Amino acid sequence: MDGVDATVRGSVRTSSAAPPSLLTIILDTNPLSWSHLSSSLPLSAVLKTLLIFVNAHLAINHANQVAVLASHVDNVAWLYPTPDDGDASKQSSQTNGHTEVADEHRVVSNKYRPFLTIEKNISKNLRNLLTSDIPSAEALKSPPLLAGALSIALAYANLQLLKADPMTSDSASTGTGAVGAADLDAHTSALRTARSGHQFVSRILIVSVSQADLSSQYIGLMNSVFAAQRLNIPLDVLRIGERTAFLQQASDATSGVYLTYDPPNSTANGTNGAATASFSSATAGLLQTLMQGYFSDVAARKLLVMPGSAEVDFRAACFCHGKIVDLGGVCSVCLSIFCLPLEFTSCPTCQSPLRVPKSVTTKPVAFARRKKKKRKIGDGGRDSAAGTPVPN
Amino acid sequence: MSDSDNEYIEDHSSGDDHNLNVGGSGRAQRQKGSGRNATSKPGTRARWERALRDTNNEPNVVADDSRLAENISRRAEAQKRARIRKDTKPFQRGIIRHMVLVLDVSEMMLEKDMRPNRYRVMLRYLEEYILEFFEQNPISQITVLMMYDGRCIQLSELSGNPNDHINAIQKLRDGDGKDELPKEPKGSPSLQNALEMSRAMLYHTPKHGTREVLIILGALLTNDPGDIHKTIASCVKDKLRVSIIGIFARMKICTEIVSRTNGGDESGYGVATDDVDLRDLLMASTSPPAMRATEQEDAAANLLVMGFPSRTEEEHPSLCACHGELTRGGYICPRCKTKVCSLPQTCPSCQLTLILSTHLARSYHHLFPLRNWLEVSWDRVREMRTTQCKGCLKKFPGIPTEDDGADKMDGSSESSRYECPSCHHHFCVDCDVFCHQTLYNCPGCQSGPPAQVPASNGETTGDPMALDGAS
Ligand SMILES: [Zn+2]
Ligand SMILES: [Zn+2]
Ligand SMILES: [Zn+2]
Ligand SMILES: [Zn+2]
Repeated sequence: MDGVDATVRGSVRTSSAAPPSLLTIILDTNPLSWSHLSSSLPLSAVLKTLLIFVNAHLAINHANQVAVLASHVDNVAWLYPTPDDGDASKQSSQTNGHTEVADEHRVVSNKYRPFLTIEKNISKNLRNLLTSDIPSAEALKSPPLLAGALSIALAYANLQLLKADPMTSDSASTGTGAVGAADLDAHTSALRTARSGHQFVSRILIVSVSQADLSSQYIGLMNSVFAAQRLNIPLDVLRIGERTAFLQQASDATSGVYLTYDPPNSTANGTNGAATASFSSATAGLLQTLMQGYFSDVAARKLLVMPGSAEVDFRAACFCHGKIVDLGGVCSVCLSIFCLPLEFTSCPTCQSPLRVPKSVTTKPVAFARRKKKKRKIGDGGRDSAAGTPVPN
Repeated sequence: MSDSDNEYIEDHSSGDDHNLNVGGSGRAQRQKGSGRNATSKPGTRARWERALRDTNNEPNVVADDSRLAENISRRAEAQKRARIRKDTKPFQRGIIRHMVLVLDVSEMMLEKDMRPNRYRVMLRYLEEYILEFFEQNPISQITVLMMYDGRCIQLSELSGNPNDHINAIQKLRDGDGKDELPKEPKGSPSLQNALEMSRAMLYHTPKHGTREVLIILGALLTNDPGDIHKTIASCVKDKLRVSIIGIFARMKICTEIVSRTNGGDESGYGVATDDVDLRDLLMASTSPPAMRATEQEDAAANLLVMGFPSRTEEEHPSLCACHGELTRGGYICPRCKTKVCSLPQTCPSCQLTLILSTHLARSYHHLFPLRNWLEVSWDRVREMRTTQCKGCLKKFPGIPTEDDGADKMDGSSESSRYECPSCHHHFCVDCDVFCHQTLYNCPGCQSGPPAQVPASNGETTGDPMALDGAS
């Protein structure tokens, strides 16, 4: 045991004093959901809290990086880094903004410049996003484009990984490229083994508020989850409001943290210990949750006991209606999930005719048969049967 | 023995050096074989060398430096993309697999042409192979057999639990002679016995799954009790698909077995020339095989009823149905509320198959493959005016002022942009490779409306981030 302990510590120390870490935040910005929360936990307060969290992340290591995405009603938008504002150096050098000198920010001299840059960018982009397009009432009820936001976040994280360690990525990609026969999956496994000992760590925090369920994006979501798993990126989820099935699965599969946060005035919860002033108790509780639950990066998490419950909702979404099921039929050819009873004779996904086993078709009949039997018994000896089943 | 080993290695490395000095056309012809070998240990040297030589072969690149750099980067792009330019046809794959893994434990496996010997190398990779297999095929089953001293012996039962097989292989590796396991490889292998035994193992497996046999064969002989051709014929009748991984040399009979059981396709017979090769061949067989046309016809899909239990945690420990042990948490069968400890498994009380939905979801990218992205011409770029990658925000090179007629490199895009045919967003080559090989999603399609041609005044519609005409 001592030996194991020593090696763990040794590897952490020798790996370099501080592995740079990328924190990607995906913020659900559905205006309808936030308006429901406006009395207890307004978006502005959450944003302030998130900025403190982001600043703490940047402050702990000068090489740390941040990216913030908004999964909006009908699109996904970058909040930070700001995409494509003509400044070529901007998105390539986000390492705490040392290279990035924004002249107009010089006025506020009391603030650490990287903090200021991020704050300005995020608030500007978020304002643009919320004011520019006013979505229809229909669209407001649609689920946030989480699969898309995750895909973009992963693509971004992948690029940062490639940048941080071009040698690994090069040997991982072109190495298998030389072996022409190597399969795609073999490639990804090589990728994974190359990445597992990676110096550059990355994680994604999803702040989710919408109630709409994500089953329409099931496949996209699951693909993203497996990609995150391969890249060794935990998906942390901070759920404000009720539980959601798939986000919990996502964080479980990638060994991320899943916590629900209830703003204090909706349900008096014990989580907000640091209530300071009047309105800010909700914000303080949120900040505490963020700092305690989500602050550690992948390297640190190996040494910590992470919060979260072991109870995970593993139900799946059926392909036919997008319903969430815990018992379903599965096509043996393509593994599509359908809810029971089945409404079709051939699989809608792969068109192969579905042979439904007797156990499925006869299951509802089983009760009827039993009744028939009882009746038969009843016919045989009415007096003896009458007393046993019905106690009236 | 160790002396001869060292000598061999020295010879090998000096041969390598010699190759390095030769260069030129002779090297180019050898490139394929030696490149593969060289990737094993030094890794980058051979590739670097090859890239340099390739560019030297081109007469026009010597002219100016900027063109040279551009050419090299474009070649790198083409190389990266080479691997993803396949596999967009959503062909059906056997996702529920039944696999018999046959190991050669004959004395030929004691050869030291792999270090320390073939047998140890094989055992070393098997563990990794089994884990990867169940990662890729979570609802499949394996059984492990070994060909030892003319006989075929079962090491582990047909099961979907990777630990069963890994334990069996570890026991074999420890080789303490317990459990009637051999300490060392001995005797000669018998392909006929192995095939007959595999046939028996797979006889009862349901039709909707595949029946596969993977033989790792180091020996160059098979010592059979009867006519192997009859066995092959009955394997064909039972719809077994045999693939064989040979070591260092091919055998005619193996070619015949593979080709006859795979409908004339010999690609299932691979020969490993070194240990990396062996690992690659093993790993290549972990991804689900394509279904043949004949199989697709008679494989009318069965509807399998499965439960997706949720994990619970209890305050007080209770007995699990699978082991009868007191546990705090577990998975509850959605049909009968029995508690089991691990997934996948069959519910001990109601026989329902219990799995994690994530097990199924892992194969969905085979069903809904991502369409290949197209190379983008400068004309298209002028139309769409994209300046950075939709996925990772990487800057694209700007539109060149005059058409310099840059030589086109096959497989890469002249503008370094790649366009998704469904959402028309533009991506960089790294995102192209990443999305097609790891993510299997298009970040553009998943995140909003398709890109549109920007209006002439630079106003963006729909998606503000991919299109920016104001540059
Ligand atoms: Zn349904
Ligand atoms: Zn199907
Ligand atoms: Zn059950
Ligand atoms: Zn697309």
